[in-house]
Amino acid sequence: MSSTATTRPNGLALFILPSALLFALFFFLPIGLMALMSVLTGNPVVMPKVAFTTRHYARMIGDPYYLEVIWTTIRIGLVTTLVALLIGYPLAHWMARIKSRTGHALLLMAVLAPMLTGIVVRTFAWMTLLSDKGVINETLLAFGLISQPLKLMYSETGIVVGLVHIYVPFMVLTLTGVIGRIDERLEQAAENLGASPLRAFIEVTLPLSLPGILAGSLLVFALAISAYVTPILLGGFQIMTLPILIYQQISANFNVGFAAALGIVLLMISLLLVVAYNRALGLVSGQRELQ
Amino acid sequence: MQTTASHSPSLAASRPAAPARTAGSVRRSGRTLYLAINIAILAFLLAPIAIVVVFALNPTPFIQFPPVGVSLRWFEKFFASRDFMHALGFSLEVAVLTTVSATILGASAALALARGNLPGTRLIVATMLSPLMLPAILTGLALFQTYVLLDVGRPTWGLVAGHTLVTLPYVVRTTLAVLHNFDTRLEEAARNLGASPLRTFFEVTLPLIKPGVLAGAIFAFIVSFDQFPVSLFLVSPGNETLPVTLFNYLKFDLDGTIGAASVVSIVLAFVVVIGLDRTVGLRSYVKL
Repeated sequence: MSSTATTRPNGLALFILPSALLFALFFFLPIGLMALMSVLTGNPVVMPKVAFTTRHYARMIGDPYYLEVIWTTIRIGLVTTLVALLIGYPLAHWMARIKSRTGHALLLMAVLAPMLTGIVVRTFAWMTLLSDKGVINETLLAFGLISQPLKLMYSETGIVVGLVHIYVPFMVLTLTGVIGRIDERLEQAAENLGASPLRAFIEVTLPLSLPGILAGSLLVFALAISAYVTPILLGGFQIMTLPILIYQQISANFNVGFAAALGIVLLMISLLLVVAYNRALGLVSGQRELQ
Repeated sequence: MQTTASHSPSLAASRPAAPARTAGSVRRSGRTLYLAINIAILAFLLAPIAIVVVFALNPTPFIQFPPVGVSLRWFEKFFASRDFMHALGFSLEVAVLTTVSATILGASAALALARGNLPGTRLIVATMLSPLMLPAILTGLALFQTYVLLDVGRPTWGLVAGHTLVTLPYVVRTTLAVLHNFDTRLEEAARNLGASPLRTFFEVTLPLIKPGVLAGAIFAFIVSFDQFPVSLFLVSPGNETLPVTLFNYLKFDLDGTIGAASVVSIVLAFVVVIGLDRTVGLRSYVKL
């Protein structure tokens, strides 16, 4: 079929239409409407007179509180990404290099198991671990290592721990693929030339896995800044991030316009990340992926 | 560690007897450290799941550690709760509907992308995969606003459409992976032997891409069943999915019912994965 090398779409191209329709109606239209709502004074369906306004964006820029929320979101995202990379890399390296098939299957299951456990469930697990009467505090108290419970929950640290746990599998799976594609003989050659395993890793494997590091980090960052459940529960409703603020604007204030404007800001950050992520993945796979 | 290792050659020069052992022990302790770090990371990944099971079985009505006994009272409470049972049923209903629509749409789209000679394939693939990286909470918000503007309420099909959007990328990706891996000469051979394009499709292409499609379907089911941010905006009160019900419960209560509910949903996810792995074998397709 493809050997005839016709560049014109054939009959199979029509199979794209149902998905195209889904995306048009339930993705592009809603996001377009959200963008529209963010510059309108009100709901055009119920209000006869609506006008264009920039007040939602002006409010965001004019009030340091909202800038602080955006910065908190980005800060939590950055720390989560960094920790996920530090934790994810060794595991990904092990998975990529392990010889035994069973070993690989077991590691894969260990990484996938948390992914199969929903976000709410895992956040609950961290609440039982980190709360004042939680596993960690009770254990430390029992051993007399601390005299009063550490404040592990209701803090950014707690949020980061929970988020790292949730998103580290994404980092591991992205990195494993990239590290697995690096020819092991390159490391062996470096070691034969007298480099220690660590030096061979730092000078050969690490630079070659940079595109994977970039792709994994962008993915985790994008996921972390859009998290809702973990920041709200582990932050105990006290730490405000962009997704929490967006939901609050809808549920408590029913300020659809302002929520839409906040959504557009989050969307813009994410779009930038998506473009960067695709670039990074392009570096990994070259032109191999498609045609 | 790096300095120790890189100094060993100079050590070797001054003390001829030592080098092999020093390099060897450095290598061995490096190896031990590598394994120790990795095992600690695995413990970090898996401990919370084990903890959930412990709390599901611990009879006290609040978080207590160490556990004081084993009881099934939270499981009884979970299965006796009308709210939780309704949510569980609704979640399953939505997940099944989502899996069916995402699988059909995603597999067709992947086929069109890989075999349809479409222009701009790269851009289309990037667009179709974008719901994976764009905040799902925005997909939820945007759909919610659209439904409000169109005044359609919060129908189940609206929720399923949102779930389909965020699960479709998985099916597209796994199906595309299989389509790119298999030898197109098989299709050409069938055509050369006189099979019609339709027959080639049903007898060669479809059986070959089946594992990829099914792997995508499994992902779609699990992602939909655990989906929270899209559902948050789109469920109506009294008709909520399990994750939303769990979340609302968690805001006020932290007893073992959540643990029991968690165990049930973990077991369900594993049963789906293992069951489908047994029937179709998905191990080789679980690659990002």
